[in-house]
Amino acid sequence: MKTQRIYLDHSATTPVDARVVNAMLPYLTGKSGNASSVHSFGQEARAAVDRARREVAALIGAKQNEIVFVSGGTEANNLAIRGLCEAVSEKGHIITSVIEHPSVRGVCDALEKRGWEVTRLPVYENGIIRVEDARAALRPNTVLITVMFANNEIGTLQPVRELGELVRTERQSGRRSLWLHTDAVQVAGRESIAVEELGCDLLSLSGHKLYAPKGVGALYVRRGVRLQSQSIGGHQERERRAGTENVPGIVAFGEAARLARTEISERRSHDKRLRDNFENEVLRRIEDVVLNGEKEMRLPHLSNLSFRFVEGEGLLINLDLQGVAVSTGSACSSGTLEPSPVIRALGRSDELARGSIRFSFGKDNTDNDVERTVDVLANAVTRLRELSPLNKALAS
Amino acid sequence: MTYSAVFKEHLAHPHNAGELPGATVVVEETNPVCGDRLRLYLLVEDDQIETAKYLAYGCPPTLVCGSVLTDLVRGKKIQEALAITKDVLIAAAGGLPGRKHHSAALALETLRSALTQLGTSTEEKSLNLT
Repeated sequence: MKTQRIYLDHSATTPVDARVVNAMLPYLTGKSGNASSVHSFGQEARAAVDRARREVAALIGAKQNEIVFVSGGTEANNLAIRGLCEAVSEKGHIITSVIEHPSVRGVCDALEKRGWEVTRLPVYENGIIRVEDARAALRPNTVLITVMFANNEIGTLQPVRELGELVRTERQSGRRSLWLHTDAVQVAGRESIAVEELGCDLLSLSGHKLYAPKGVGALYVRRGVRLQSQSIGGHQERERRAGTENVPGIVAFGEAARLARTEISERRSHDKRLRDNFENEVLRRIEDVVLNGEKEMRLPHLSNLSFRFVEGEGLLINLDLQGVAVSTGSACSSGTLEPSPVIRALGRSDELARGSIRFSFGKDNTDNDVERTVDVLANAVTRLRELSPLNKALAS
Repeated sequence: MTYSAVFKEHLAHPHNAGELPGATVVVEETNPVCGDRLRLYLLVEDDQIETAKYLAYGCPPTLVCGSVLTDLVRGKKIQEALAITKDVLIAAAGGLPGRKHHSAALALETLRSALTQLGTSTEEKSLNLT
């Protein structure tokens, strides 16, 4: 009998909720209009997009005309950062952090090559930036602060609300051209988000992290913030994102957002209970395990652990052969041969960075999944340590 | 590419894993870029590799290359072992994705380093673990 597979990689992507599939199916079959068309097919598509926009706005406490639908988190981050910077008349200064997702890091790097100045805030051993570092980094020409709401590898929550206060204070002192963007792709559906409380101007979301399909996301753009569209050739999304709307994807995202909003506290406590039970069992049964990042100020579903003397991809594939799917910040798996910059930024050694594994739980995981994963993990770590020259070197 | 059945079998049940007390030569090589390590133990008598064992730290191809390499060199004359190429090793592993060929290169580098040491001295080598 084939063993049931266990999916513990919900930070990479989530399975599509059956209710979300049901919501989108009519828009893949009969209701196939273009939302820009004026006939009845188009009107029903437009109405569906508008309903979805209201749901996504409600998830983060925004107004519906502040939501721009895009293809996912990467496009949202590109539109936010490049779109804002290109709408500003002169090249200025950006503040970001060293642990951003590549879609933020890469855009900042590209702007730097084009003459923008970029300050990358450090994180400390807890994996969190300090607001005083951001305050100290402010320059007269600082245009944008872009710091993720929660890190995708270690789940640490960043002080975005405090950054919002910093921006608000600067504005009250007369500074006009300073905006705050946050990548909330990992947070949506796992923690409550209220854009007014956060004080952010731009916020990125992705559908497939909250049980919608891949290929749809959104950017929150506070009213009054000017963006240069990154795609030209259509009036869609209030001139901010040309191209025919992905109606089935948007409908799915809207339904997923509605479910996330109504079920958030149930999902949060479910994920946290499984995650905490998992960590307690791992730490009880396996020696030389290091938790990466702050224990309290982090997402409820995610655990990032380094197993000393064991390389992450070797462990990942061993778990996969036993039917358990996780991800790693190891060097070899990234394709760059360099260990995870996020784990290295915590001050961890290369060896610990190479041995980091991310376990991310979801609403459909069970207590049995936790139990079996810990068994499989304990066996795999023991086997790989027996094979590891690092372990033997220590023993000798 | 996905890993082959041969590869997965070596990974799940590695051959010749562990230390080899009384080895004629022990060599450990590291890939300085990705940090993978392979330690090779050879017991050589009359110019023939009687047995070989290994320890490895790294991505799955490095673990598998240790298993495959020790299978390949067992019973071989030193000159025969020196003739093992990267292509032979990769084929015996059931194939490796291009970006993982560095694992085969590390395995061959470790083997050649061990055989070079044998050539310079017949005495047992001590391993510097620092």
